[in-house]
Amino acid sequence: MTTPAIELENVSKVFGRFPAVDSLSFRVPRGVVFGLLGPNGAGKTTTIRMIMNITAADSGEIHVLGTPMTRETQNRIGYLPEERGLYRKMNVLDHLLFLAAIKEVSREDARKRIADWAEKLELKPWLKKKVDELSKGMQQKVQFIATVIHDPEILILDEPFSGLDPINTAIIKEYLSEFRKQGKTIVFSTHVLEQAEKLCDEICLMARSKKILEGPLRDLKRRFSRNLLHISVDAKPEEIAALPGVASAQPVNGGYLVALAPGAAQREFLRRAIDRHDLTGFSAKEPELEEIYLDAVRAAGIEETRPIE
Amino acid sequence: MSWKKVFAVIRREYLERVRTKAFWFATLLVPVFFLGYMAIQVAAMRKTSGERRIAVIDVTGRLATPLARDLAQNEEARRQKSGGTRGLHWILEPRPIVGDIERTKVGLQKEVLEKKIYGYLVLDPASIEKERVEYYSISVSEFVALSQLKDAVNRTILHQKIADRGLPASVGADLERTVDLKTWKVTTKGVTEEKGAGIIAALVFMVIMYMTFFMYGFQNLRGVIEEKTNRIVELVIASVRPTELMLGKIVGIGLVGLTQYTIWSLVAMNLSLPGIASMMAGGAAGAPTIPLSMIGYFLLFFLLGYFLYASVYTAIGAPFNTDQEAQQLSMIPSMLIVSGMAVYPAVMNNPNGPIAVAASLFPFTAPLIMYLRTAIAEPPVYQIGLCIVILILSTIGMAWLAGRIYRVGILMYGKKPTIPEILRWVRYRPGKVLQPAAPPAN
Repeated sequence: MTTPAIELENVSKVFGRFPAVDSLSFRVPRGVVFGLLGPNGAGKTTTIRMIMNITAADSGEIHVLGTPMTRETQNRIGYLPEERGLYRKMNVLDHLLFLAAIKEVSREDARKRIADWAEKLELKPWLKKKVDELSKGMQQKVQFIATVIHDPEILILDEPFSGLDPINTAIIKEYLSEFRKQGKTIVFSTHVLEQAEKLCDEICLMARSKKILEGPLRDLKRRFSRNLLHISVDAKPEEIAALPGVASAQPVNGGYLVALAPGAAQREFLRRAIDRHDLTGFSAKEPELEEIYLDAVRAAGIEETRPIE
Repeated sequence: MSWKKVFAVIRREYLERVRTKAFWFATLLVPVFFLGYMAIQVAAMRKTSGERRIAVIDVTGRLATPLARDLAQNEEARRQKSGGTRGLHWILEPRPIVGDIERTKVGLQKEVLEKKIYGYLVLDPASIEKERVEYYSISVSEFVALSQLKDAVNRTILHQKIADRGLPASVGADLERTVDLKTWKVTTKGVTEEKGAGIIAALVFMVIMYMTFFMYGFQNLRGVIEEKTNRIVELVIASVRPTELMLGKIVGIGLVGLTQYTIWSLVAMNLSLPGIASMMAGGAAGAPTIPLSMIGYFLLFFLLGYFLYASVYTAIGAPFNTDQEAQQLSMIPSMLIVSGMAVYPAVMNNPNGPIAVAASLFPFTAPLIMYLRTAIAEPPVYQIGLCIVILILSTIGMAWLAGRIYRVGILMYGKKPTIPEILRWVRYRPGKVLQPAAPPAN
């Protein structure tokens, strides 16, 4: 197995008396889309800043591409902070050239890449304009180019979709899947779980500065499966409740959402259902990330009524 | 330290500033302002002309006529000397005493206010005995006019005293002649004549240094805060270490200052060329020569002082989110810069005295004061060396302190931090808890 892209081992950080991150460990394998999830204030931004070596960890170890962060690895990472802005008086081209220069990209390479990206993102007419004169959406495109201008191996994006308009959200999602195909590792944080559900291969869930859950999304869904089935059938509620293994049944559009008792066999239930009723369709219902989150928080004994602000 | 990255920051800071209209505005405006100021000064000197109609209450009855004659003679002498330009023209009107002196004075005061006369002079033997002559006027701040009048009154009284003792009038003419003090500056390189131009040049350079400490020191503060308010700093810090960013900014802004100096000196050289030519043609005194050492010391102490003050301003800017929040603390370096200007008269009077030595070794006044001392006198070499060492050490110390505050401060948004909080940042080391959760057990 190759060294993971990022690895955290017992990392802690305290601000004043408030623990921002509490003995956090996780690993991000290469080439995956990794979601760092949790409500606001869970410690995601602090974690990302510690990975970026912007804030120093109080204890624990952080390895990026196999070693503690070095100048050389720093140049191989593209970072989009949550607090993002631009020098307002600079013109866009100079600005991007500057941000490329501090990643030690040569001037000629930077020019070429800026021209490429400007073409792709329809930013070309704006290159000679001052940042001030750009719309917010255009500035977001500039920030995105700044993040990828040095062709990084790892992208670390802190709440990349917050404040983005739908067009830019779509563009960035498109390029993220493009980067994934190229084998780049993408780490992003979000408090919007639906977003993560669609994009992530692996996740780390945080709440109250602690890790709640970590792993490939598919495994987690299996683990937290509540044995839910959706059946399309024309039957009375008491008839469904009488079927074997049923814990509860909720009428939904054109059928029922059936929760089986833990350990009850889905096959046995379906066989009986087909015997007794005219089933027009059925599907196993996977738990949503939000449900997994709530379950995990409950299991960890953390009071957290709302996962999403 | 990645010099490539530092260079990228320097380049950005320099170009972005030099490209602004504000930079060119300030660069061109200062010489215009200076020239305008000098032109007004010269014009004011030349233009001390016009009529001075004054009334004279001559209680002695013997002084008014010779005084009028003396003023007229001197007026003529000045006109010939300056090649015909018109200077002040004095018209004396002897007035009789109406009733008593006080009543006469009241009447004349009215005339002054009605602008019939410019002022009046009281020649009273009782007060002359006490070495005083009274002059009342709507304006008593005209130094040129007042000194002309004073000299004339003194000469007239002198001649009167000589006549009273029965001595020949030629004695008076002889006593009138005083000597001038011709000054020569003794240095290790020899003796040079000092006509005051050298000292004025030194003072002008010091004022320029003083102004640029303010201007460019403060730009460091603004620059740091600007990066925070623009929310760009975190993106930059992901590629550049805080110390590299700080160094790049300070050097970049300092280079802007040096660029401005270069432009100013080019302007000054070009403008003074015709001036020098005309002076040589007129055969008058040559232009003040500015020795190379003066410029060398200027650059040296400018750089040392600039780095020191830039570090102070950076440390003060980093914790805050707006210029307003930083304003209170930015008074500290401002007061320190001003204090250098405040002690300079004492240094001028005694360039190697205790105040001068102390002020040129205290790091925050040292750049201005040591520069002034090197320009007007030759301070001991060991003191110059000590001053440079002190400045370098305090700049390193200040930069270290600024770096510690900067690192933490640039990522602090929101609430305005208190001074104890800022001091905690200085002591903070990763691995240690910023504020211990519980007192250490011992």
